[in-house]
Amino acid sequence: MNFFAVALQAGTSPDINFPLILPEMIVCGVAVLVMFLDAFMRRSQRWVTGGLSLLGLAAGAAATIWLWTRGAGSLGTFNGMIVLDEIRLSFTLVVIFVSALTVLLSVVWVEGEHLPAGEFHSLLLFATSGMMLMASGGDLVIIFLGLEILSIATYVMCGFRRTDLRSNESSLKYFILGSFSSAFLLYGIALVYGATATVRGSGVVAGTTNIAQIGERVMAGDIMYPALLFAGAAFMLVGFGFKIATAPFHVWTPDVYEGAPTPVTAFMAAGPKAAGFASFLRVFIFGFPFVGAVASASSATNVHDAWLHALAILAIITMSVGNVAAIVQNNVKRMLAYSSIAHAGYALVGFVAAGAATDATQRADALAAVAFYMLTYAVMNLGAFAVVTLIARQNDRRTEVEDYNGIGFRAPALSFTLSIFLLSLLGMPLTAGFIGKVAVFASALNVGSSAPAASSLYTILVVIGVLNTAISAYYYLRLIIVMFFRERTTEWAVPRIPASMALVLVITILGVFYLGLFPGRVLDAFKRKPASGAVTQIAR
Amino acid sequence: MLQDNLLTILILLPTVGALALIGHGLFWKRENDYRWIALLFSVITFALSLLLLTRVGENSDAAFRFEQKTLWIGAIGSYYHLGVDGMSLWLVILTTLLVPVSILSSWNSIKKRALSFYVFMLILESAMIGVFVSLDLLIFYLFFEASLVPMFFMIGIWGGERRIYAATKFFIYTAVGSLLMLVGIIALYYIHQQQAGAGTFDYLTLLDALKSGRVVITESSAFWIFLAFAFAFCIKVPLWPLHTWLPDAHTEAPTAGSVILAGVLLKMGTYGLLRFNLGLMPEMARRFAPYFVVLAIIGIIYGALVAMVQPDVKRLVAYSSVSHMGFVVLGIFSFTEQGMQGALYQMLNHGVSTGALFLLVGMIYDRRHTRQISDFGGLATPMPWFSTFFVIASLSSIGLPFLNGFVGEFLILLGTWLSTGFSYNWVATMIAATGVIWAAVYMLWMLQRVVFGRIRHGENARLSDLNAREVGLLIPLLILMLVMGVYPRPFLSRSRESVVAVQQRVTKSTGAAGSFSVEVQENKQR
Repeated sequence: MNFFAVALQAGTSPDINFPLILPEMIVCGVAVLVMFLDAFMRRSQRWVTGGLSLLGLAAGAAATIWLWTRGAGSLGTFNGMIVLDEIRLSFTLVVIFVSALTVLLSVVWVEGEHLPAGEFHSLLLFATSGMMLMASGGDLVIIFLGLEILSIATYVMCGFRRTDLRSNESSLKYFILGSFSSAFLLYGIALVYGATATVRGSGVVAGTTNIAQIGERVMAGDIMYPALLFAGAAFMLVGFGFKIATAPFHVWTPDVYEGAPTPVTAFMAAGPKAAGFASFLRVFIFGFPFVGAVASASSATNVHDAWLHALAILAIITMSVGNVAAIVQNNVKRMLAYSSIAHAGYALVGFVAAGAATDATQRADALAAVAFYMLTYAVMNLGAFAVVTLIARQNDRRTEVEDYNGIGFRAPALSFTLSIFLLSLLGMPLTAGFIGKVAVFASALNVGSSAPAASSLYTILVVIGVLNTAISAYYYLRLIIVMFFRERTTEWAVPRIPASMALVLVITILGVFYLGLFPGRVLDAFKRKPASGAVTQIAR
Repeated sequence: MLQDNLLTILILLPTVGALALIGHGLFWKRENDYRWIALLFSVITFALSLLLLTRVGENSDAAFRFEQKTLWIGAIGSYYHLGVDGMSLWLVILTTLLVPVSILSSWNSIKKRALSFYVFMLILESAMIGVFVSLDLLIFYLFFEASLVPMFFMIGIWGGERRIYAATKFFIYTAVGSLLMLVGIIALYYIHQQQAGAGTFDYLTLLDALKSGRVVITESSAFWIFLAFAFAFCIKVPLWPLHTWLPDAHTEAPTAGSVILAGVLLKMGTYGLLRFNLGLMPEMARRFAPYFVVLAIIGIIYGALVAMVQPDVKRLVAYSSVSHMGFVVLGIFSFTEQGMQGALYQMLNHGVSTGALFLLVGMIYDRRHTRQISDFGGLATPMPWFSTFFVIASLSSIGLPFLNGFVGEFLILLGTWLSTGFSYNWVATMIAATGVIWAAVYMLWMLQRVVFGRIRHGENARLSDLNAREVGLLIPLLILMLVMGVYPRPFLSRSRESVVAVQQRVTKSTGAAGSFSVEVQENKQR
């Protein structure tokens, strides 16, 4: 990194710290490289572009871990636009993991569907860099930029099977509704910027989009237009709610997930959701923080209470709508789409806990719980979608529940692995899903046990979450029942499992059991603050 | 070495067996080997479980033996903590005994997908042993839930006509209850964290803190936590009116599944009530005792009356379980040494005699492919061995003196009579005692229609009697019925101190509901 250090010392801008965005730069650079390779190679070489993407993602992950262990001292540079904290690092690793598995999922699939592999991989990498920016943005503008990079890449990926009407519909729907929700978010950002203007001495100081500064001004009650702040927060809540698919902003999800190519659906359900959670968490928890005893009469400080309660209600609605609607689905992808809505609801329980936490340890626990939940969800969800991709065959033909009739003992390896993923999604002990649920529910009960008031709110939240888990048993088991307890009446050939797919299945199965049996290391790691140290000193 | 890790070995050995089976299935695919491998592992597990008797001797105190404790998830504060005391000892041995017996019973009847069947059976054994020896609430929950999955598959794949309905109902019913218990478990963790500094899932730490008063669960929290635990366990027991999953699951399950379900899985509920509800929240247990007693008595009578009118033998035995488990709950909530010892004893009895009954029903089902009482009659002539066993098992289930059922039921009724935990205990005793009469009515009536009388259907005359394997697997259960009926001392003396410790805790503890215990004391003096 000496190159950067030297360059920086000679530079004029004092607040540039390239090592801090090394992971993002690597992934972005590899994305461009893949695009070039694809343009200049005679025909799309899926193994070359796929392998290169994997290498890039691995390098990005290594850089992230390097940042984490070596540390970068200050919380942020680029004038606070990029931050370095455990939220960024843990979520970055989650999204890189999701993208890497998606690459593995897609290498054989793109060939089978006669689609350009290079394009797909570079889009995926751009989406990843967008997600990483969302996780690392300390400024609303950076978060918005990251969101747009991610969204535009995903719009294209949804419509990647150009000749398929369902894919086109999915893409268009996602594009229109996604733009609409981006507008909400942007409007919210603008309103917050306006609201946070404040009077200093004789003059008016302009507003800010920096999350830390917003937080400081909210804490101090130093807000010129409190009503605007409320409106801005509400708009942003809607915008983020859209992206992570919370009810009632979820209506796009089933259609888009059903129509998009299955590997893309797998990616969308796990990656962008995690990234959305990362920035959603940072904006609300640090931008509109708990004010506590300092609370003055100024209503600006109550924005914390307002969003917390709104989010608690959203969590309840999201869990219930997702699970109840999933019961009546006959298409597996649609069912998993609703299940992903429900899982966003469970994660929101941890979010509420993080927001309500009164001390830093509780908050760190809750944040780590949400990040861990996203990781477990990513593992089991990608595993499940890998099997769905294999069974669906070309053109996503076999995605109805009927298509799974009696395949249990025809393809035992596939069916039993799918069952393990489904049981993990359901939250059975010994699997990742169980520990994920325990972590988020425990953080909510923890907050409830020491909350100054309304502690029953958190208990109720958890009880509703638990009852929803019981509801979800019905549809997860339904697939298992169809596979194992029914007999196959029509012809069905066992799908061949390509090596890359087998690798995905092995990784996810091991992940499900590793996170379910020995989650300690990961949970501890996600709580770990980046050590202060080398990078800043070299760079400054 | 072996002794120090005995519990871990007991839990892991069946799982290792399951993995060995899968490996064998992948490489050799010799259908006939599966049952032998499964039998081998389960028999070794049984033999090893007998080693537990070496340290839990007669008149041993209430302390936990074979304890093992290592940190499992540091971030959550959960320990892998195992231990055995007089209460769990016999339940573990019952489990390890019933598994090889049910594997033997499936010898020829499970032809379809035998590999998966035995794999599920062995995984189930691991989970069941784990439930009885866990001393960490989270680990307990883990095994408690994990036992659902293999049983779900066993009912669903190898079950009868309505297996899908029965399996789903079984899973969802039990999952709802246990999920609420999970909330209760986590709540206990944070109550301990608030008052004692660090949270814990450890049963002994929690018990200690509660006993010494360092940690006090407020009355309203205790109310809900008690209900959360009780709900989970009462569904499992099952206590009337939460029993409706049981007849379906028992009837539709394959024979081995029914044996395990009735023999072991139901005991998890009563064991949980004894260990956790009474141990951790004794004040609430006293407060709720009258309700439990009423529900238990309704269950006893209701189960017996419904069993009487069943046209299906298996369903009849299933409903008789509701009645018998009612007795167990009644004994637990009598809060007397006799009643609670009787409850524990009755758990074992029920496992042995109902297990034997399900095995026998399975054996005639294998021959006739029907379980309707009206399809039988006069089986004594073609099947003398079968009839003898069937009669003895039925009598044991009824509670005939010199057979095991009598000891348990007598102790429970005695304990209820002596109980001071609730008023009108004599009325309770008298109504519950009629349950024994009803049991005689439905069992003997069924025997009369199935075993005795003339042969009404020609095909019954040609039925072959039990073969050596079937006799062999029934003999251990039969011996147990006799031994436990005549000489209960080795069993009861080992569990006594552990049971008395719980009983003392319930009757002597003072806490949030302190006034209540005074009332109990006064009652005693009267």
